[in-house]
Amino acid sequence: MRRIKILVVLFAACLLAAACGGGSSGGGGSSASGGNTTLTISNESGALWTCNFNPFNLSYIFLSLGTVYEPLAFVNTLQNAKATPWLASSWAYGNGNKTLTFTMRNGVKWSDGKPMTAADVVFTFNLLKKYKALDINSVWSVLSGVTQNGNQVVMTFKKPAVNYFYYIADQVAIVPQHIWSTISDPVKYPDLHPVGTGPYTVSPCTPQNITYKANPHYWQPGKPKIKTVNYPAFTSNDTANTYLANGQAQWGGQFIPSIQKYYVSKSPDNHYWFPPVANVSIFPNLTNPILKDPAVRQAMSYAINKQRVSQIGEYGYEPASNQSGVVTPTFSAWMDQSQATQYGNNYAYNPSKAISILKADGYTKGSDGIMQKNGQKLSFTILNNGGYSDWVASVNVIQSDLKAVGIQVTPKNLAYPAWSSAVLNGQFQLAYYSETGGPTPYYELRQWLYSGNSAKIGQPAGSNFERYSNPQTDALINSYGNTTDPAKQHQIVNELSLVMLKDVPVIPVTESVSWYQYNTSSFNGWVTQSNPYADPAPYYYPDWGQLLLHLSPT
Amino acid sequence: MRFALRRVGFFVLTLWAALTLNFFLPRLMPGNPAEAMLGKFRGPVSPQALKALEVAFGVETKEGLAGQYVHYLGNVATGNFGTSLYFYPQSVGRVILDALPWTLGLVGLTTILAFLLGTGIGIVAAWRRGGRLDSVVPPVFVITSAIPYFWVGMMLILVFAEQLQWFPAAFAYNVSLTPGFNPAFIVNVVEHAFLPALALLITTIGTWILTMRNTMVTTLAEDYVRMARAKGLPSRRIMFDYAARNAILPNLTGFAMSLGFVVGGAILVEYVFNYPGVGYMLLQAVSQEDYPLMQALFLLITVAVLVAILLADIATAILDPRTRTAD
Repeated sequence: MRRIKILVVLFAACLLAAACGGGSSGGGGSSASGGNTTLTISNESGALWTCNFNPFNLSYIFLSLGTVYEPLAFVNTLQNAKATPWLASSWAYGNGNKTLTFTMRNGVKWSDGKPMTAADVVFTFNLLKKYKALDINSVWSVLSGVTQNGNQVVMTFKKPAVNYFYYIADQVAIVPQHIWSTISDPVKYPDLHPVGTGPYTVSPCTPQNITYKANPHYWQPGKPKIKTVNYPAFTSNDTANTYLANGQAQWGGQFIPSIQKYYVSKSPDNHYWFPPVANVSIFPNLTNPILKDPAVRQAMSYAINKQRVSQIGEYGYEPASNQSGVVTPTFSAWMDQSQATQYGNNYAYNPSKAISILKADGYTKGSDGIMQKNGQKLSFTILNNGGYSDWVASVNVIQSDLKAVGIQVTPKNLAYPAWSSAVLNGQFQLAYYSETGGPTPYYELRQWLYSGNSAKIGQPAGSNFERYSNPQTDALINSYGNTTDPAKQHQIVNELSLVMLKDVPVIPVTESVSWYQYNTSSFNGWVTQSNPYADPAPYYYPDWGQLLLHLSPT
Repeated sequence: MRFALRRVGFFVLTLWAALTLNFFLPRLMPGNPAEAMLGKFRGPVSPQALKALEVAFGVETKEGLAGQYVHYLGNVATGNFGTSLYFYPQSVGRVILDALPWTLGLVGLTTILAFLLGTGIGIVAAWRRGGRLDSVVPPVFVITSAIPYFWVGMMLILVFAEQLQWFPAAFAYNVSLTPGFNPAFIVNVVEHAFLPALALLITTIGTWILTMRNTMVTTLAEDYVRMARAKGLPSRRIMFDYAARNAILPNLTGFAMSLGFVVGGAILVEYVFNYPGVGYMLLQAVSQEDYPLMQALFLLITVAVLVAILLADIATAILDPRTRTAD
């Protein structure tokens, strides 16, 4: 027994010695020649890395598009879809917006040293045509052909679809023909050692961490200035938040509760900004006989104190939405103020108006406090993701707000697959969900309102879960793609907002944001509220590549 | 011999039952993996892309359930566990192999350590029952075993990693290091494993101490122990060779089972310490309806436990002749 005791003590002593002598743990690699050139990202991914980098796989695109692979152009969501050249040096629409010609940049090389040409672009797009599972943005639903003309790429469309510029130019990674033409099944291709034109290569990738190293063949001279980027695999938010708070990670994409206390106060160099980009909304099932009535939906929108939902449910990080569906302040330039005023300032909180709308529609308050008409009560269930504690809290606030006007909602907090399946298949009365949006308000409005995105009850819909269908709205949505004239585009968005205000097919409650924390002690050039040159969340692609290109050591 | 054959036969029967259950249970869950994937990335994924994904995932098979079952049995026999859906297109084997060594290392070694230490303390506590060691150590460790693992883990992180900064708080090794069999890396791994292992030890050792102590106390009352004492044998010899050898037998099966469950991972360890392992992976597989990965992990746990029990039975038969002559 004593022998065992001695062994244990010795073992522990060895460990302590190793620990004390083993140097610091933590990600800083300072180079002697001034300035730290290693950056660590803190973004909870929830699983170990598989080291797959296939940019046409939705699970992995965020790891390679922007850093290893580059798209044709950069479209900035935070600057009204401003498009800047990336792999293409310029582009032009022609032939009534049915042709889009990209002129490719010269002198770009792949990370294996071979030159990139327009042929690679043509190959990439035709690869998406051949393998439908790779066409994750459905670009071939509008394209009719992609061909090469010298150093230009000529794309032809079935009909004008200017709104697809974002998907075609910003969201498709250009891959090398000399490698991908040899792959027999690109859908299953793991792409463990991706070869791209981008500022970084992967070297190495382990299940715990991806190390991106600067690409020596990169076409922008002197860039990237950040030579090494570490992207650890965080399975829990606690560890990810701790790394940010104590400076072991300098760039975060985390939801940090009480961010003042747990992050900002830890260091004067800790900053954050949460730019809103889309909406988290209540989706009423429009096939439900009671919810079919627009008056009920209008009343609901007036009854909810969206500011309070934002404060209590989201710590105030997600601003309150407005019924027009236009996210402010990001897309404030798209807001039609006179229209907003006409509709109660975009359905600003007004519970007495909600009650009067219901009463005018024939509803009366029953003895149980719930509004009812012809024996039918305003009582619904609302499906929510039980794993999102902030959404659960938000729906609780919504529940109490609606109760005050006589509408009873019962939250049903489900596990992710059950919730997602029910919402996609339209098996709900009310659901709390969000769309992904895009670089102008049009994209989210289209996701909400375009009947082609929807599906019958029992079939999965890509978006438009409330099953809204109106042929005039569809025609309006389709007309946006015809024109590059901003005035016309604003006009269409106004009319689509009017649909939101009149019909209330969806009730936006809070604005979903890009989560962004940054530490200025070692690096300069971050995206800030006054300089939003890219969407700054580290999981947002391809914008994170732009951010890394702008950074430099202090 | 007949004993061994009977045990092996029973093992095969239990294995088959486990395999069949393992096949049917995941399929009883609602939803389908392609939908789960679509829901995860609610973007402009076209219906054609969804269809193509479903085909690739094998969800849209023409085969009936019976055909799938036969295929499944064949695949299990050849060790082909298919392609993961959550980690598509990674093969399930590769996904598990990335995480399993860490689980086996941390949880396996700590379980063995807990067993050895626990039984050791239990033996001495029983031998000197009523004394100082016996009054203090078992109660303390039984209390610590009742404390939830995550609390112990977080307290250790708070004290040793945050305030004293003696040990790192997360990961299996420093993320900027490349894995390799060199001393620096190994020391780094041990350094990172210290706090999770300590937490595991504190929360699991109590059971071993208590059961060992109690069986020892019963054994010490036996006649042959009194005989050995009367013969004048040294205390240490009686304690180990006579009493402990017999007292440890019931614990052996428990130990074998917990070794089997090691491959189930320790999900709280992985969560609190951000440690790679199969526990959290199993949680993800279940929540994402990744049938192949789920099945493979369940299978791994079941087979490991069954094999462990079989080995424990055989070990008991070897160590204790009384069980051999039962038939």
